[in-house]
Amino acid sequence: MPTANSPARYSRVAQWLHWIVAALIGTQFALAWTADDLPNGARKLALLTRHKSFGMTVLMLAIVRVLWRLANRPPELPPGMRPIERGLARATHLAFYVLLFAMPLTGWMMSSAKNYSVSWFGLFTWPNLIGQNKAAFEALKATHDFMSDILFAIVVLHVLAALKHHFWDRDDVLTRMLPFTRSERG
Amino acid sequence: MNGRVAALIGLFCMAAPLLRAANPVTSYTADPAASRLNFTGVQAGAEFTGTFHKFTAAIDFSPDALADSHFDVQIDLNSLDSKDGDRDQTMRGPDIFDIVHFPSAHYVTRSFTKTPTGYAAQGALTLHGVTKDVPLDFQFTPAGGGARLDGTARLKRLEFGVGQGDWKSTDQVGDAVKVSFSLQLKPKP
Repeated sequence: MPTANSPARYSRVAQWLHWIVAALIGTQFALAWTADDLPNGARKLALLTRHKSFGMTVLMLAIVRVLWRLANRPPELPPGMRPIERGLARATHLAFYVLLFAMPLTGWMMSSAKNYSVSWFGLFTWPNLIGQNKAAFEALKATHDFMSDILFAIVVLHVLAALKHHFWDRDDVLTRMLPFTRSERG
Repeated sequence: MNGRVAALIGLFCMAAPLLRAANPVTSYTADPAASRLNFTGVQAGAEFTGTFHKFTAAIDFSPDALADSHFDVQIDLNSLDSKDGDRDQTMRGPDIFDIVHFPSAHYVTRSFTKTPTGYAAQGALTLHGVTKDVPLDFQFTPAGGGARLDGTARLKRLEFGVGQGDWKSTDQVGDAVKVSFSLQLKPKP
């Protein structure tokens, strides 16, 4: 039931922002896990450098996403969802938006606290957010790591929920976020 | 040898210190508490600055006697501090400074020239067992009984073999390194 106020599908821009950020976050986990297993050295530095450039990209796209979301109403959740399911969906989406900012910001602060300024693909350098501080670095790293576990958990939840909606509920929750498709269900 | 020649030689020997005194250089040392020796490199696309806490500088200098001026600076590489313990350990290690084999760096000047903004020195830096010419640009500002010496030098770390193995690549750590110094000079006692 598309209306002027609630579209049936996410806009093209929202779709592309979603999938680009999803791909970046997947890459971020791969880079971080690979770097964690390496000793301090040039290869670890190279991976973390890329991780930081992608992370700052996520932060910039997060700003765009929030602005887009505020200006463009997203489609309604399908009718028939139980209140607890609606609550869980909203909480997960809110947590994603919080982490889209909190992950890059704690990472940026971590780098600042360790006196490793963050470059964006070598094109320019972001200013340090805080001064060099070993205790702050350790606390920020613990926070960044902990939030990455939460992020991973809600990514799993988000994917399982999308698949459940598509294959079990047979609604258009997944397809309305997919570019190059048309929502015919729901 | 007759007495007249002996007298001339004697006179010359007595006059020599006076001739030098016409163009005296003052011998200074750097006051460690009020002096800084920093290095700035590019790591992962972003600049980072570290410092060497321990170094000695014997500075013989006078703007009026550049030919007789001379710098001799000895740097304890183990005293490096990049404000991150992990990075410091990596830099002390065998692939970068290799301080077990090369604990110090040494800079000695050869000649000085006046520049529009101050002075330039030609000199040689010995680092990591390699000696190469590295010029300095500096300003000399007499103050009180001493002087202030501020300047910079630019070098390429790979010319000295600083960076072996993975660190030979300049993808993550740039080749160019800027050294900047600000020394509080006090006359040698």
